[in-house]
Amino acid sequence: MLMEVKNQIKVMFLSLKYNIMKQMINKVTFITNIVFMILNNASFIVQWIILFSLKDNIGGYTISQVVLLWGIASSTFGISHILFNKSFELSDLIINGKLDTFLTQPKNVFLNVISSDTSISAIGDLIYGYICLFIYGINISNFILFTIFSITGAIILASFASILGSTCFWIVKGDIIADSLVNIMISFDTYPGTIFKSTVKIILYTVIPVGFANYLPIDTMLNFNIMNLIYIFAFTALIVLFAFFIFNKGLKRYSSSNLMSSRI
Amino acid sequence: MKKYLYIYKATLIENLSYIANILLGFINFFIMIFVFVNLWQYIYSDSSQIINGYTMEQMIWYVLTTEVLWYGSKNKVLLQEISNDIKTGNIAYNINKPYNYVFYILSKHLGEITIKLILYIIVGILIGLCFIGPIQNFNFINIPFVLLTLILGVLINSILRIIISTISFWIEDSTPFHWVYDKMILILGTLFPIEMFPDFLKPIIKCTPIFVVTYGPAKLLIDFSMQNFTQIIIAQLIYLIVSILIVAFLFSKGVKKLNVNGG
Amino acid sequence: MKIIEVKNLNKKFKIKEKEKGIKGSIKSIFKPKYKTINAVDDISFSVEEGEILAFIGPNGAGKSTTIKMLTGILYPTSGDMMVNGINPSKERKKLAYTIGTVFGQKEQLWTHLTPYDNFKFFGAIYDIPNKEIETRIEELKTTFELDEFINTPVRNLSLGQRIRCEIVASLIHKPKILFLDEPTIGLDPVVKENIRKLIKQMNKELGTTIFLTSHDIGDIEKLCKRVIIINKGKILMDDTMNNLKYHYLNKKIIEVKLKEKVNLQDEEGISILKSKGNNLKVEIDITKKDMADVIKLLDVDKIIDINISNIPLEDIITSIYKDAKALSI
Repeated sequence: MLMEVKNQIKVMFLSLKYNIMKQMINKVTFITNIVFMILNNASFIVQWIILFSLKDNIGGYTISQVVLLWGIASSTFGISHILFNKSFELSDLIINGKLDTFLTQPKNVFLNVISSDTSISAIGDLIYGYICLFIYGINISNFILFTIFSITGAIILASFASILGSTCFWIVKGDIIADSLVNIMISFDTYPGTIFKSTVKIILYTVIPVGFANYLPIDTMLNFNIMNLIYIFAFTALIVLFAFFIFNKGLKRYSSSNLMSSRI
Repeated sequence: MKKYLYIYKATLIENLSYIANILLGFINFFIMIFVFVNLWQYIYSDSSQIINGYTMEQMIWYVLTTEVLWYGSKNKVLLQEISNDIKTGNIAYNINKPYNYVFYILSKHLGEITIKLILYIIVGILIGLCFIGPIQNFNFINIPFVLLTLILGVLINSILRIIISTISFWIEDSTPFHWVYDKMILILGTLFPIEMFPDFLKPIIKCTPIFVVTYGPAKLLIDFSMQNFTQIIIAQLIYLIVSILIVAFLFSKGVKKLNVNGG
Repeated sequence: MKIIEVKNLNKKFKIKEKEKGIKGSIKSIFKPKYKTINAVDDISFSVEEGEILAFIGPNGAGKSTTIKMLTGILYPTSGDMMVNGINPSKERKKLAYTIGTVFGQKEQLWTHLTPYDNFKFFGAIYDIPNKEIETRIEELKTTFELDEFINTPVRNLSLGQRIRCEIVASLIHKPKILFLDEPTIGLDPVVKENIRKLIKQMNKELGTTIFLTSHDIGDIEKLCKRVIIINKGKILMDDTMNNLKYHYLNKKIIEVKLKEKVNLQDEEGISILKSKGNNLKVEIDITKKDMADVIKLLDVDKIIDINISNIPLEDIITSIYKDAKALSI
């Protein structure tokens, strides 16, 4: 079992390494992708400067706290797209029958699939996340917390995307629904959770798990609370298990499928 | 002209079968509107407040209009097809056909977005009427003027996108440049009108595409004046002519480069 | 020992049927109509260890579907199969360690990496320790003569070298069976020959059992001792190559150029395929008519040129397909 996990991680990192090597072949494209992504994210600062010029605090957040929120959102997005990029394109793989090759390999299909590609611009997102932390004011304890929450957030985001992508095993238009809902999560994660009314908040902590991926981590970084940490870990574990469960259920259906698209 | 009209019509009919996809795309639109409405409601602590000359209702109608334009005119033909054609060398076949490639792409793009845009406009108006109420002092006589600036805005936006995509002739991947344009429109152009910016930025913003692509039509819708209209329409015409000239220039340069490299 | 055993295997697919026009499209959204087809229809066969088996048939015959079931990608609708003593639908992972797959049209290699790096990657996938993988690559390199290009990125290799590496990569974990789905598709004759040699070599030297699907008659003729012909999901023929040939080798084709016209007509054992001026093309069934008699009928003195040949395998297989078609109608 331990050996299996070790081998799986080895394959994942080899695949990450090779993907980055692949992108590095064209250095200009590689660098512009990363740099422009950082600039792209930084441009949102303008939006917030203007909003804060209209009102001192928004949803109880000061501008530096919004920067921190952006940081978490950005590094969460970055890590998930570096390590698990294909979880965001799962629907395409399922609909077009591209899982076949993975099925002939003696590895966990789910992990093998979602880690088989890397988004290069996501490196820019990850870097930007830490730039935000630096602007907010970095110290050892918030660096550690920030890193932990970026990882849990990335896992939550990738699991969420995988769960939605897996619906394509059953639903025909699943890809559009999956795309939309993942986008929603990304739209919400850069706005203070507190500007939304309580009914919406419930949704943000359940159906669209941006609460556990971003809002609660921010709260915890501002006022440390061990219980929050436990909630976040527990939720991460739950959503990961659920993602595995749904994907494996779907995979069985894929293999025993009697629907023929490009599967001959 | 006739062949472009034909391309436009053919794409439009093809898109009729994707209406279900467009409707599912509304989910995103609703959410963004929802986030912005929440944001503005939070910033306007009471609804009678006026910020920089805008009431809360006007502000939300403004965001609604710019978001309709953003979601309704977004399409991958301009973002990916041109770059792909250039990257794969397909463009060599396309420019040898008896049509102008730029007009071909433009007709195709407009065919792709027409239905989408109309649906978004209808839904946008419905959302506005249901959740915010009608715009104060709205006069139906203004509609043709607003529509004219709206169509010109969409057209200019499309041509600017084509300009960005032609960067692929020189740098393999033009997407990062699209991001910059995206962000300029999205952050500076959709969330708040130019009046909200600090004074020193206002003249600069007025010169950017934001003024002709998003601000123009939205401003005229919520607060029409003949003076604004003439100002906007003149700016749009200048933008249109200049951008067409730039496209023509870049394309002839790019194609030459293609010939040298043999695609 | 039987390494693959298949009994009464079935795979049914449902295809959505759509009526024409907008009306039909709308109708199919609310009330989709399905048509069931038997992609694989009750087939049974077995493969001996160390054999090279050709599994052939026209497009859509059910070849790939069968391979996909044998490799655990697809589950059968019904029937039993055992590959290497493992049930593919139940223990896919365990099976994966013992089989190799090459799908001709799909590339598994990372094109920006060298074959060497690629082999290391596949080594990791099959849990081969680093030390072992080095010696394994060394072995494969010398056996299959890859020295020349083992450190060149795959995208810079010729198509032939690429497929070579593709096949060698699938041998990294010493599979007992190799499934090759149209390995020579789209290759030129020289490269094809090269790949066939490679396949033969690994069968001989490594004892790998090979399950090969192909369109290419040459592949089959040169490689296989046994052939299974499948069409419309049904096995039409499961026989040795020799039998197949023998059965049809009774027939010979005579092409002859004569000084003047000869009066030769269809009769028992002789059928005229083509007659144009002084040129004749005749098919002879030698179980019914001796060659000598035919030549006498042609009148030896009048022959300018003569060519006697076997029926090409391609034609044999086509005629088997056609017969089956005729039967199914």
